[in-house]
Amino acid sequence: MINYHPSIEILTDYAAGSLPLAHSLCVSTHLEHCSECQQQIRKLELLGSQFFEQTNTDNQCFGDLKDSFFANLSEQSATALDNDAAHAIAPNTTDSSWDDYKVPSSLRQFITKGYDELTWMRLSPSFKIATLYNQEGGAQVALTRIKAGAHMPTHTHTGDEITLVLEGAFSDESGVYRQGDFISRDASHKHKPMVTKDAECICLTVLDAPIEFTGWLTRLLNPLIRRYHPQT
Amino acid sequence: MERATKLQPDEQRVADMFAIAEHRDQAALGRLFDHYVPKVRSFCLAAQPGSNLMADDIAQEVMIRIWNKAHTYKPESASLNTWVFTLARNARIDYLRKNSRHQSDIDPEYLWQHVVDENADPFKDALQKRDKERIEHGLSKLPQDQKQVLAKVYLEGKTHKEAAEELSLPLGTIKSRVRLALHKLTIYVKR
Repeated sequence: MINYHPSIEILTDYAAGSLPLAHSLCVSTHLEHCSECQQQIRKLELLGSQFFEQTNTDNQCFGDLKDSFFANLSEQSATALDNDAAHAIAPNTTDSSWDDYKVPSSLRQFITKGYDELTWMRLSPSFKIATLYNQEGGAQVALTRIKAGAHMPTHTHTGDEITLVLEGAFSDESGVYRQGDFISRDASHKHKPMVTKDAECICLTVLDAPIEFTGWLTRLLNPLIRRYHPQT
Repeated sequence: MERATKLQPDEQRVADMFAIAEHRDQAALGRLFDHYVPKVRSFCLAAQPGSNLMADDIAQEVMIRIWNKAHTYKPESASLNTWVFTLARNARIDYLRKNSRHQSDIDPEYLWQHVVDENADPFKDALQKRDKERIEHGLSKLPQDQKQVLAKVYLEGKTHKEAAEELSLPLGTIKSRVRLALHKLTIYVKR
C-alpha cells in the first residue's frame, strides 16, 4: 500500500512534459508501483490532448514539408527502427538476477543487471551512495543504500530533495516510507531517517543541492558530499 | 474507399492507424500528416514562438513515430488524440534535451512508456469515454484565469513556478487555480 504520492502539481507538470527530467525519473518510478497515480496521469494526459486538439492551426498547409517528409520516409524509418531497437527494454525478469531486486524499467537506462553493478561510495559503515547522473549545474540523481536498522546521520537539505523508496523501508519523525513511496522535502527540513530492522533500504534520490550533515562528527563528510554534487 | 468515406473523421483516423500498422499504407499516413502536423507545429510554437525549424523537426519526428509505432496503438486504452499528444510531448522533451535546454542524459523514452497500462479491463473503453466527455465539457465551462494557467503548463511547457513568474502572480495562486480547475474537471480528488 503506497501512502506517499507526488503532489498534483508535480503530476500535472509530468503529464505536460514540463517537469525536469531528473524529477520525472522519480515520478515515473513511482508510477510503476502506483495504479492510483497512473489513473491520474491518464486523465491529465487526456486534458493535455484537449489543449493539443484546440491549438489554432488556421488551416495551414505544409505541402513542401510533406513532400520532403515522404521523400525521406524510407531512409528515416530505417534509422528510427534502429533507435527503437536500442531503446527496446529487456523484460524485467531476465537481467536482474544479480540480486533478488527488480530494477524498475525507468532506471534500466542506468542499471542493466542489478544494483550491485554500480560504483557505491561508502560514507559510513552502514551508508553507501551511487551517483547515477549529474545534471550539469543542476540536480544530482543517486541511489542510497542503508543497512537494516541503521540510522542515516542527521542532515539538512540545502535544496529540494525527492526520495523514492525502491527496496526496504525507512522512517523519520513524520512517518514510515515503503516501496514506491514518493517523499518530497524542501530546504527547511532537517531529519534523521532510520531504516527498518528487517531489511536494507535502497532509495532513488534527486538532490537539487548537496545535503549537509549536521552531527559534530559527520560534518567532516560534507566536503566529500559537495565534491560529488554537480552544483559545486 | 467508399466505406471509408462514411466514417466520422475520428474513426477514419483510427482506421488509418490500422492501415499503417497492417499494410504500411502511406496514403493513410498522408491523411494523418495533414491533420496532425499543423497541430504539432502549433504545440511546439506555443512553447518556443518563432522556432519554425524546431516545429518542423518535431512534427516530422512525430510522424515517423506514428509510422513506426502504429502497431502499438490500442484504441481502448487512449483516444488517438491523446496518444499523438503524448508522442508530441515526448518528442518536444527529447528535442529540447538534445538541444541542451535540459542538458540531460536521462533518456525520456524510458520515462513515459509504462503509463500505457496493459491490464485488460473490459470497462476501460467506457471509462475512457466518460472521462473524455467530463473533461471536454468541464474545460468549456472553466473560468478564463484557470484555463490560462492550464494552457501555460500544457501548451507552453511551463512549470507551475515559471507560469507564476510569467503571470506575475504568487506561486500559491497558480497552484490553487490549477487545483480548482482539476477538481472541477474531476481529475483531482483530494486524498
